[in-house]
Amino acid sequence: MPTGLDSLKHIVVLMMENRSFDHMLGSLRVVDSRIDGVTDQLSNPDTTGALVKPQPLADFQGQLDPDPDHHFPAVDLQIFGGDTSPSRVANMQGFVKSYFNQERDVGHSQKIMYYFAQNQLPVLTTLALEFAVFNRWFASIPGPTICNRAFAHYGTSFGRVDMNPIYVNEPFKNIYDRLINANPKHTAKLYYYDMTSSTMEVANLLQNEPELFGTYQQFLNDCSTGNLPDYSFIEPNYSDHDSDSGEEVANDQHPDHNVQAGELFIASVYNAIKQNANLWQSTALLVVYDEHGGIYDHVKPPACTPDQFTASANDTGTGQPFAFDRLGVRVPAILISPWIPKGTVVDGRVFDHASIPATITKFFLGDYSPRSPRETSADVFIEPNGPGVDPTRNLLSLAAMRNDCPDFDV
Amino acid sequence: MTVIHVPRPDVKSAMDSDRPVNTLLKAQIQHLRDAERNLPLRHRTDIYVNAIKTEGEAAEYIRQVTEAIREAHEAAAAKRGRGIAIAAAAADRPRRKGASASGEKKKSTVKRGRKT
Repeated sequence: MPTGLDSLKHIVVLMMENRSFDHMLGSLRVVDSRIDGVTDQLSNPDTTGALVKPQPLADFQGQLDPDPDHHFPAVDLQIFGGDTSPSRVANMQGFVKSYFNQERDVGHSQKIMYYFAQNQLPVLTTLALEFAVFNRWFASIPGPTICNRAFAHYGTSFGRVDMNPIYVNEPFKNIYDRLINANPKHTAKLYYYDMTSSTMEVANLLQNEPELFGTYQQFLNDCSTGNLPDYSFIEPNYSDHDSDSGEEVANDQHPDHNVQAGELFIASVYNAIKQNANLWQSTALLVVYDEHGGIYDHVKPPACTPDQFTASANDTGTGQPFAFDRLGVRVPAILISPWIPKGTVVDGRVFDHASIPATITKFFLGDYSPRSPRETSADVFIEPNGPGVDPTRNLLSLAAMRNDCPDFDV
Repeated sequence: MTVIHVPRPDVKSAMDSDRPVNTLLKAQIQHLRDAERNLPLRHRTDIYVNAIKTEGEAAEYIRQVTEAIREAHEAAAAKRGRGIAIAAAAADRPRRKGASASGEKKKSTVKRGRKT
């Protein structure tokens, strides 16, 4: 009998921007206690020493302004609470202090603890409750966007923890080239929203292989015509701008862009796949965020297999080098497929963005080298059937496809 | 089947192309500026990136350079295609008696000059 894995032909990854797990999905703990969200035991001290609890008071826009600092030194403060000693332990107590550094306003700094109520995010929370939500998906490094997104494309950031261009000169190929140069050949595409939003992968992929890219309109066309590649990576709209079809509101959810616009975008991606019945039964969609954006989360990032690179003390900005041996802050991650049982909570397994090329490679190519140590040790969110594979690891486990998956009215 | 209504944000209040450029867009501009420096002159913009202050200005620069990169690659591919087509056409052309296999022209022994 065909299962979800037997039917699976396409994997789609949509990577949004700069929101933590507790901020977006923390409200769901009261709905399903298995989801490791917010409790009233959690807090962070502000600069007066008062304990600030997380509250469901997040606004769609205009609240997290200025954009909370999410560069390496600020995230270090957020995770370790200001402790810089060699024997320090993560305590997730530095978020309010970190945000205070930007405006020097006690009241404003407390807003970094705010999270969204369930009814404010009907798309993300519905997807989390209907499909598979990951309790332990972390940013790949405790730092900003460019290096975290690099892990999704290359399985490493080549020793970088900053926002400067990463020029690849190591043997680790990006996932797209691995697929299109394989024998037999596979297909892969990055879809940016439009040319005005473009991609964050400029230095290597856009500059050298622009043919890898399509627009979001092309993604919609490819879904409706059944021409979706084996692997698709979607980037949201990074800016408010005018287009031929009118005003385009940024939908990446990066502060201070409108969070509801991002909800619409996620729903649009989901609908595009679901509206083609053949595609719906043969596609798995991962919605994930690149990093936490400086916003509070309570789960301490775990240690991980060190990458073979080291960022110098100068590069980290903290006075200490970084060996890529611990992950960044937790982010929302949801896997969507009609073959996933409703209410799946993935717990007890740790994922980061290296899991993306690890999964795509394992599923479509099998063994492949060379790959970074972080990628080869990363857990995979889709595991092909095979001898010795623990069947409980298969998230697409239903014997028959669901016919009760929700639709979004956009 | 459940249908979930998704509220739309009010575009007028959500949209602000005069919003100051955030750090992500600043990084993207820097990366595109580096890429623009590698483009042939005819593909480069006349935008001074240090003067970009707003999201709208950033968006315009990002659009122009992204288009320019694509156009530069398309131009190179077209030239490559013409080169291949010319070589293919030359290979297909029947050879005149005495013509070299390499297609090299024999040096002409006819003196060229103006008719008097």
